[in-house]
Amino acid sequence: MKPNHFSTIRRILFACMILVPLIPFILALGIGYYHFATSLENSTVASMKRIVGDHRHMIESFLGERKHDLEFILNSYRFEDLRRSETLDTVFDHLQRGSQAFVDLGVFNEAGVHVAYHGPYRLVGKVYKDATWFREVMEHNYYISDIFLGYRQVPHFVIAVTKAEAGKKWVVRASIDTATFNNIVESIRIGKTGEAYILNVNGLLQTKPRSGGKLMEKYPDKIKYPSSHTGVETFMDKDVKGVKYLYTTTWLQNKKWLLVVRQERADAFKALTSAVYMIILVLVIGGAAILSVAFYLTNHIVGRMEKMDTEKDRLNQQLIGASRLAELGEMSAGFAHEINNPLQIIKSEQSLIEMILADMKEKDQLKESASLTELEDSMDQIKLQISRCANITQAILKFGRQDEPKPQNIDLRAFIPEVTGMVAQKAVVHGISIEQDIAENTYPIHGDPTQLQQVLVNLYNNAMDAILEHHGTSGGKLIVSAGPKEKNTVEIVIKDNGGGISPENLNKIFSPFFSTKSVGKGTGLGLSICYGIIDSMRGTMEVGSEEGVGTTFTLRLPAMV
Amino acid sequence: MEKMKLMVVDDEERFLSTTKKLLERRGYDVVTAPSGAEALEKIRGQNIHVVILDVKMPGMDGNATLKEIKRQFPLVEVIMLTGHATMESAIDGLKSGAIDYLMKPADIDEIILKAEEAFEKRQSLEEKIRVAQMRKLMKSPREIIEET
Repeated sequence: MKPNHFSTIRRILFACMILVPLIPFILALGIGYYHFATSLENSTVASMKRIVGDHRHMIESFLGERKHDLEFILNSYRFEDLRRSETLDTVFDHLQRGSQAFVDLGVFNEAGVHVAYHGPYRLVGKVYKDATWFREVMEHNYYISDIFLGYRQVPHFVIAVTKAEAGKKWVVRASIDTATFNNIVESIRIGKTGEAYILNVNGLLQTKPRSGGKLMEKYPDKIKYPSSHTGVETFMDKDVKGVKYLYTTTWLQNKKWLLVVRQERADAFKALTSAVYMIILVLVIGGAAILSVAFYLTNHIVGRMEKMDTEKDRLNQQLIGASRLAELGEMSAGFAHEINNPLQIIKSEQSLIEMILADMKEKDQLKESASLTELEDSMDQIKLQISRCANITQAILKFGRQDEPKPQNIDLRAFIPEVTGMVAQKAVVHGISIEQDIAENTYPIHGDPTQLQQVLVNLYNNAMDAILEHHGTSGGKLIVSAGPKEKNTVEIVIKDNGGGISPENLNKIFSPFFSTKSVGKGTGLGLSICYGIIDSMRGTMEVGSEEGVGTTFTLRLPAMV
Repeated sequence: MEKMKLMVVDDEERFLSTTKKLLERRGYDVVTAPSGAEALEKIRGQNIHVVILDVKMPGMDGNATLKEIKRQFPLVEVIMLTGHATMESAIDGLKSGAIDYLMKPADIDEIILKAEEAFEKRQSLEEKIRVAQMRKLMKSPREIIEET
């Protein structure tokens, strides 16, 4: 498989591994968030509505009580009685005992003249005929003013009620301390930023908001008014500073005043904010986990696939190599056999010629001459070349032969030194030192000892030839080591310090008839035969070499365990 | 001393004729046969001591011929001549009674050497037989006397 194929697989796998868990993960978080946000909003709005409703009720009942107080006075006393300041003082005392909110109390006749007054100011005699509150109260019998400064230049509001007595209306009016009233409204506190205040129809502040703002001033925020008398309106808007608030409004006093309760959105939905942080945290951690797991798994799987693929390729290559070698072996064996027959005839003919020549010389039929010497030399050459051909065909036949191997258990700890001993004499003669390092725990193997001996001797001879060529007869070193390897294999390493093999030759080294030795010195079959033998033992044979440093042959054979 | 009589069996006509010439020049009595069947026929007619037998031949092959020779003429020594290096055919031959084997291309001196060895063995075998027969003959009159 090509590398870009793997990168495609890697991409697809990676995408799948991320998307498959990530989509439901995000979906779950999203749905959870949506439901939580909705229910939180609903419950927050509901609780704010409830608070607004409760406070409206509270304020309405406060005002209603004050109105009842005045009505009670109207009904309990006659106009003439209340005109007297002593009576008024007593009444006021009673009033204040009922509620501290009362500041003063005044009595007005039909013409709007302030006939009696109890309070901190001097107001008796003033005429209110044209004052708005007077006209309103005369018309509707009951009036609650907005907060105003009046003659006193102090913010207050008044409650006035009328009574008809003997065809004439008279009025009782009380001022309500805004501070007391303020406290009632201000007592609404929700969270950190929750507050309440009252606006009149013109949007002037009737109570002081906690967040600041003066009485009687125009409230800067945009306020939505509820449509019905008792309806509660909820909306979200930014105030002048750009902070988002959740507003809840309701009418008071028959659309005269508007109760506003507001809370910063962030405050009201604090739980939602922390939920969002939590979701983001989970998303980041979960996403990172998914990403890293996907990355790790993808790498792992694709790596395994790649490894298996190269393994497969290598196996294929080996298989092809082995079968090609076998084919070549068979073919060359047949070929060698066919060559041997004519070679036999040539040899016989050559012997005959030689014999005849000798006979003729003996009988003096041939005179010694340069031509005769040349002829004899030529004869010798033919003989030599025939034997060379014979050597080649023998080697080929050996390569191609399919002797039934006779496998048995081989203890390498004894076997390798034994084989090494066979070449020891040759090594000594050529000044090559042989080092052996056979691990004590080397497993025994199963194979034909003759074949394994052939392989080892072949490798020894090759190594010694290479050393001789590179070093001459001193400084040669041949190291043989063996030991157990992973997966129940045994490794035999034969290392020389000869001239090494060039990379281009290294690829062909196991091919039949490939030889770097001079003509006539090698058939180029030795290593192919070795390869075939090791392959038949279900082992592997590898070569590594560095020019000028040496060559290492590594045999791996399955252990007998 | 009896003169060795050799027989060469091979399907290559030229090999036969050249080898015959070579051996005759060395002073041996040589008979040739191009096939196993012909070889058997010729052995029957003449007293052949040693047979050089090619393993691979059309028709009756070397090993079959060897078995037949040994069956009919157990005293005839056979040297197998193989073009194949597989030891198996040679081993098969030795098991079937061949005295030795030669690998092609074989040198004429090599052939002669092995043939001489085989002939010697044959000679000593014949000698033993002769002695044994002599003893039997020597023993016989006494036995006759004792029996009477």
